[in-house]
Amino acid sequence: MKLRTTLAAAALVTGSLGAQAQYNSLWIPDTLSGTTFNLYMKDTFVQFLTGNQTITAGINGAFWGPTLIFQKGDTVHMNVHNNLNDSTTLHWHGMHLPAVMDGGPHQIIPPGTEWQPYWKVTNTASTFWYHPHLNMETEAQIASGLGGFIIVRDSEESALTLPRTYGVDDIPLVLTSRSFDASNAFTTFSPYGDYMLTNGTMNAKTSLPKQYVRFRILNAELERGYNLGFSDNRTFYIIGTDGGLVDAPVAVTRVKILPGERTEFAVSFAGDAEGDSLDLMAYNSGLEFGFPGSEPSTSGAFGSLLNNTNFKVLHIYVSAATSGAVSSLPTTLTTNTYLTAADATVSRTLKVTDGVPGEGIGFRFDSTDFIMDTINKYVQLNTVEKWSVTNSNVFGHSFHIHDIQFKIISRSSGTIPSYEDGWKDTYYLHVNETVSFVTRFNDYADPLHPFMYHCHMAPHEDGGLMGQFVVDSATTGVAKTTESAPDLTLYPNPAKGTVFVSTSMQAYYITITNAVGHTMLMLPRPNLMKGIDVRNFAPGTYYLTFTDDKTKQSYTRQFVKYADL
Amino acid sequence: MRTFKFIAPAALALLLSAYRPLPTEKAVSDFKLLATTGRMVSLADYPKAKGFMVVFTCNHCPFAKVYFNRLNDLSKKYGALGVPLLAISSSDTVNFEEDGYGKMKEKTAKEHLTFPYLYDGSQATAVDFGAKKTPHAFVVWKENGKLVVKYAGAIDDNGAEPEKVVHHYLAEAVDALLAGKAVDVPETKSVGCTLGIRAKK
Ligand SMILES: [Cu+2]
Repeated sequence: MKLRTTLAAAALVTGSLGAQAQYNSLWIPDTLSGTTFNLYMKDTFVQFLTGNQTITAGINGAFWGPTLIFQKGDTVHMNVHNNLNDSTTLHWHGMHLPAVMDGGPHQIIPPGTEWQPYWKVTNTASTFWYHPHLNMETEAQIASGLGGFIIVRDSEESALTLPRTYGVDDIPLVLTSRSFDASNAFTTFSPYGDYMLTNGTMNAKTSLPKQYVRFRILNAELERGYNLGFSDNRTFYIIGTDGGLVDAPVAVTRVKILPGERTEFAVSFAGDAEGDSLDLMAYNSGLEFGFPGSEPSTSGAFGSLLNNTNFKVLHIYVSAATSGAVSSLPTTLTTNTYLTAADATVSRTLKVTDGVPGEGIGFRFDSTDFIMDTINKYVQLNTVEKWSVTNSNVFGHSFHIHDIQFKIISRSSGTIPSYEDGWKDTYYLHVNETVSFVTRFNDYADPLHPFMYHCHMAPHEDGGLMGQFVVDSATTGVAKTTESAPDLTLYPNPAKGTVFVSTSMQAYYITITNAVGHTMLMLPRPNLMKGIDVRNFAPGTYYLTFTDDKTKQSYTRQFVKYADL
Repeated sequence: MRTFKFIAPAALALLLSAYRPLPTEKAVSDFKLLATTGRMVSLADYPKAKGFMVVFTCNHCPFAKVYFNRLNDLSKKYGALGVPLLAISSSDTVNFEEDGYGKMKEKTAKEHLTFPYLYDGSQATAVDFGAKKTPHAFVVWKENGKLVVKYAGAIDDNGAEPEKVVHHYLAEAVDALLAGKAVDVPETKSVGCTLGIRAKK
C-alpha cells in the first residue's frame, strides 16, 4: 500500500508561490527519428525549486522523454532499457499494434532488462505518446516524469500547407502539474499539483513567430482536466484529434482536454505586433461538477492551488515571422470515413460503478475488480463493435481503450463537441452521461496478451477502474499438444557475439536470464534470422526461454557467453 | 491492496501518523561486512569511537553520486573527533551490476574514498537500520553498551549544489551529540533512489 507522506507541505508551497513571478524558457523535448529507437529509463533529479533537487525519473533525460518521430508504413524497433530501481512497462498510447508489443500491465520489464518490441506503423499522422502502465503503480511512475511524445507523419498530412517545423511553428506541449513536500520531493497526496509544468517547465514562456503556429497538446496529468483558450479569447482552429486530422479546421475559443487526450490546433499570430505578449490559459474556474480540478479545495486529499481557477499554461511573446511561414490554413484537411452504429454487429455496455465516498471501494467497471489474470471481454477479429460507457457515479472520468481508434457517435448529455469530431482513443465521460463509440478490431489477434480499457486518471486506474479484452480469431486459439522434446538448439555454444536459434517452431516470445535469475532481454515475436545480439552480456552462463507461437508452451536452453577476444 | 483516495483528509492524517514508526532512539545491531579493502569491518573494530555515521549509499544512483566528496570531508572531520563514517552499499546487485563489489572497489580507488565502503550483499544491515533510500544517513551513538540511533535521514538539504546547503543535518546531529546535547532535528526525509530490498527466496 502506498502511503502519502507529508501534509505540512501546502503552507510552505503557498509561501514560495508568490516569489515565483519570473518566467522560464519553455523546454522543447529532443526528437529521435528513424526506425530504431533507444530509450533509457532511469532515476535522476531536477532542480524545480530553490533548495534541494527533486528526485524524478526520465527517459534519455531528467523529466519527460524524447519525441519519437515515426513515418507511417515504417516498422519501428524499440530498445527499451529499464535502468530504474523498479519494474515498469512502456505503453504506446494510441498506437495500433500487437497486444504483446503494447506495453500494458502484462509486458512487465524488470529492472536492468532490455525489452525489444517492434511494429509496423499503421496509424495516420497525429500525436501520440508513451508512458508506463504498471498495474497499481502508474500514478507513481507517471508522476516521476516518465513519458514522451510520438509524432506520426504520413504523405497525406505532409502534402498539406500546415506548420510542421518542430519547435518553431509546430510546438509540442505536455501539460501536467505537481506538488512538492517540505524536502522538495514530489507528493501525490492530492492528484492535483500546485505548480503548472508545461513541458516540465514552471512558469513557461516562449517566443512564437508572427504566423500560423501549430500546437500539439497532450494532457499527461494524473487527474486534472484543462479548458484551454487564449487570454484575448482569440479564435483558434482544431486540426486534429487523438488519432488523426479532422476533415476541416474547426474554429473554437475553448477546448477541453482530459488526461490521456491530445488535441492539435493552429492559431494565427499574424495580426499581432512583434514583441506583443499573450497567454495560453487554462480557464478552469467555474466549470461543471465532475470536471477534474473543478473542486474548490486548495489543500487536502483533492486540494490544489490551481483548483477552480484560471491559470497560465504558456506565456507567449510574438516574434518575427519565419521564411516558411504558413499564412492561411487549408479549408479541407482530409476526408475521413467513419463507421456508424449501423455497421456494428456487436454492442457492449460498460458502467462505471462504486467509488462512493466512505464505502471504501474504488471506482470499478460493472462492480468488478480489475484482476490481472481475468479477461473481461472477448472480441472477435475484424468485428465492428459499438461500446456504450455509462457514468452514473460521483465524478467525471477519462475513458481510454487500447489497440484502436474509434468514432464517438453519441453523448447523452447533448451534442458531440466539434473539437472531438474525429478519431479518438480517449474522451471525457461526464457525470450522468452515456457515451457511445464505434470501432473495428482488426489486424492483431492474440489469445494470450490482452489490451486494456480504463480510466486515464491515474489514481482511478490504479484503484481498479480498468478492464481487459483479448482480440481472438478462429485460427489463433492455443493448441493443445503432447509434444515432449521439441527441436530447439542454440548455436554457437559457447557464443561470443551472436546466438542463433535453430528450431522448426515460430517464436512467440524469447527471454534470456543470467545465472542469478536476472532478466537480460525480452523479445516479443523476435525475428531470429540474424540471431540474437549478446555482445553486451558479461561472460557467463545464460538461459534462453522460448515460447512457441502455436502451443504457447515454453522451453529453456542454456548457453555460455565467452569473453570477446 | 488498493489505496482509496476518498478517505477524509483528517482520517488519513491519523492513519499516516499511526503508521509512522519512530526511527530514532532504537537500538541497531553491529554488523560484519566486507570492505572494498578486502577486510571484514564491524563497529566493534572501533572500541574508542563515541558513535558512528553510517551512510547507506551506492554507486549507481545519481543522487548518491553527488555526495561522495562530502562523505570524504565528513569522514576526515569527525573521524578525528571519535565519530568515524562508514558507508554501506545494500543495493540489489542483481538489478544493478554497477553496484557490484568489483565496481565498489574501482570507485574507492578512483575517488580516493577515505572511509570504509562496505558491501551488504544480503541487505540484512539495511533492513536492520530501516534504510529506505540512497543516500540514507544514520548517526548511532554508544549508550550503555548499545548502539542507539540518534539521527536518521538526509545528509543535508541540497544534493547537487553543496554551496547552497542551509542545513547540514548529519553534521549538526554529530555536533550536538559531541557537545552532550540532544539532537535538534533527529529525523528528516531521506532523498534519493529507492533502496529495493529483494524478497527472500
Ligand atoms: Cu476515472
